[in-house]
Amino acid sequence: MEITLREEANVTILSLKGRLDMATGSALKEQVKKLFEKEKTAIHLNLGEVEFINSSGLGALVSVMKEIRLRKGRLTLSDLASYVQEIFEITQLSHIFEIFTTEVEALNSYQAVTTG
Amino acid sequence: MIDRIGELLTRLRSANSYQLQEAVKELGRYGDDGAVAGLVMALEDSNLSVRELAADILVQRKGETVYRLLICFLADDNIVTRNLAAEVLVRIGLPAVQPLIEALNTNDNDVCKFIIDVLGLIEDERAVEPLCGKLKDKNFNIVCAAVEALGEIGSKEAIPALVAAYDKIEDVRFQVVEALAKINNPSTLEALYGFLNSSDPQILCAVIQAIGSIDDINSVDRLLKYLDHKDQTVAEAAMAAIININHLNPGKINRNLPLDRFIDFLVAGVKNRDKKTTEFTLHQLSSWHGERVVRSLLEILDAVEENEFSQISEILAQVAPSVSDLVLEKLACSPPAMKVILLDFLKPFLNDEIVQKLLSFVDDPNHHVRREIGYTLGIAGYTSAIPALKKLAIDEVRCVRAAAFAALGWVGSEMEFDFLFSGLEDKYADVREAAIGALIIIGGPKVVAKFTADLYHPNAERQRLSVTALGLIGETDVVRPLLRAINHPWASIRKSAIHSLTRISGVTDIQPLRVALNDENSEVRKAAASALIAIQGEKAVPDITFLLDDKDDWVRYHIINSIGSLGVGKYSEYILPYLDDRQGIIRVAAITALTRMGYRHASPALKKLRNEENTSDDKAAKKTISGLKGIGQ
Repeated sequence: MEITLREEANVTILSLKGRLDMATGSALKEQVKKLFEKEKTAIHLNLGEVEFINSSGLGALVSVMKEIRLRKGRLTLSDLASYVQEIFEITQLSHIFEIFTTEVEALNSYQAVTTG
Repeated sequence: MIDRIGELLTRLRSANSYQLQEAVKELGRYGDDGAVAGLVMALEDSNLSVRELAADILVQRKGETVYRLLICFLADDNIVTRNLAAEVLVRIGLPAVQPLIEALNTNDNDVCKFIIDVLGLIEDERAVEPLCGKLKDKNFNIVCAAVEALGEIGSKEAIPALVAAYDKIEDVRFQVVEALAKINNPSTLEALYGFLNSSDPQILCAVIQAIGSIDDINSVDRLLKYLDHKDQTVAEAAMAAIININHLNPGKINRNLPLDRFIDFLVAGVKNRDKKTTEFTLHQLSSWHGERVVRSLLEILDAVEENEFSQISEILAQVAPSVSDLVLEKLACSPPAMKVILLDFLKPFLNDEIVQKLLSFVDDPNHHVRREIGYTLGIAGYTSAIPALKKLAIDEVRCVRAAAFAALGWVGSEMEFDFLFSGLEDKYADVREAAIGALIIIGGPKVVAKFTADLYHPNAERQRLSVTALGLIGETDVVRPLLRAINHPWASIRKSAIHSLTRISGVTDIQPLRVALNDENSEVRKAAASALIAIQGEKAVPDITFLLDDKDDWVRYHIINSIGSLGVGKYSEYILPYLDDRQGIIRVAAITALTRMGYRHASPALKKLRNEENTSDDKAAKKTISGLKGIGQ
């Protein structure tokens, strides 16, 4: 899996591409850990190009979510492909993640809180 | 023509609505003054549609006679006629301004007032000077109307005359301030600052409001002292004015404002969805979140919009985590609906300590609250909540059980797998699905082993859930059980297993899939072919070509499409024979596949198919042809 990273208005955007499974889930957790070291806790994951996600991938997302919550940060997701969306519905993970249809909508929501 | 107009004017007295309208329409076609007079007369008709028709025609006609007659009608005793005449003049707009200005000299004060009103509504600056002249009129109504009209026109040229009127006529001060507010020009500010010395609270409020409507950040210093005004209405007007200037100059006002006096005012603004007040109040929350403020905000949580709800919650979670104590305190004594709202509000605050305090709500008498507690404990993610979640998972209400099982998936570990599997015995599907969801997240060898065993569970539903779960767990250790499931006695399980294998990487043993190509069930054969193509790509083609002659036409159709979707020209030889198949749908699939493969000779076959008008598959053929136009020809 490829993870590309960029920063926009104090939000770190990670765009994931490929399969999110055990190996790549660990890579994601590592990447997020590095962001914590830089005190970055406003993180957005663009899942638009995630073609497959399994139990370990879901576990990695839940783990990232818990870590961010402990640090009083914020995690948002966007652009879920229909297959990924289906798994989120079955596992009801949409209750614990803030999910937006598009990355722009997600980033706007950060803006609303900071300028509010 | 004159006779005809006379005849039409007579018809205007007709009781027949149709005849009346026809007469008005015909009068509209004549340029004669008499015809115009007839149209103006029609404004008095008792029939609304006749009046409106006449008005529409007059607006189009324009001309001196029209203006003169309409102005006369401003003196009509009938208020409806008067208003319609005024409306027509306003709609005529600029061409009517000069005749209206000339008519201002009338001795009839009522007509003069109506003319002023009309001039104000037309908003043309030519009227400013004559209207300023009317500010000196002896009649108070005329002066008032002139002030208001000057406000409507909005020209800064009127400012000196209006300021002079403020100074000279006490009774017109309020209207002058309103007019200056409408002119909304920075050059009014000096005069408005001067009016701040008014002892009349009503005028003072209007002056403050006018100052607040003008974009000048320097006004804030002038307004600050009114925040302490003894009259709360004046103080709130000053706060509203500062909020407005803040809105026009975001982030530029850095003053310590005595906000505590305005808690009710600001919170009411948020509750009433006043955008500027909400924006201001939420911004202040980062440094202004005393107990009274938070308590007031908690009272209106059920009235604010979703995004503002989240903003309040997230801002307070960042700057004042202790707010959660107030929320918990309120939670204990709130009705069920408010409890649910407060639990949602608490989400950004969640920590181990709050989770411990929430555990007591597991026994709340209301099941909506218990369900929300389940979700909240799950979102918090603390393992200390697992016993409480297990208790909720055996609640008497199914939605509570479903929420608790879902939450256990977010919090739990493989250690809970036995308990989670007990959820699969629930009599309600939503609870069983929540338990499956939890097991999918938890995954792991024990869960996979149990689901593998469940593929042969006596209950068919458990078998279905197991194969779905194994597919969604999607780890490499589910490949072997899924390959075994290809031999399952149930076709739906075999098909589902094959579908899951298509997605999971690491399928090296493809022999069971090859065997499934000969399955007795056509859906399984199709799924096996798709899986082999997905796993092996074009290498799978030789294995699946025998299905081109399958007894089921839909299998043949599927195989042709699958080979075609690879877009590899060398496989066209497999497809070519099917251009002459007995089944139209197969011929269509063959043409589609060949076109995708870039096979140019598909074109004649396409033309031949187009000529087949009477085949049972005519519609499908036409659809395909139209879809292929851009590719094949």
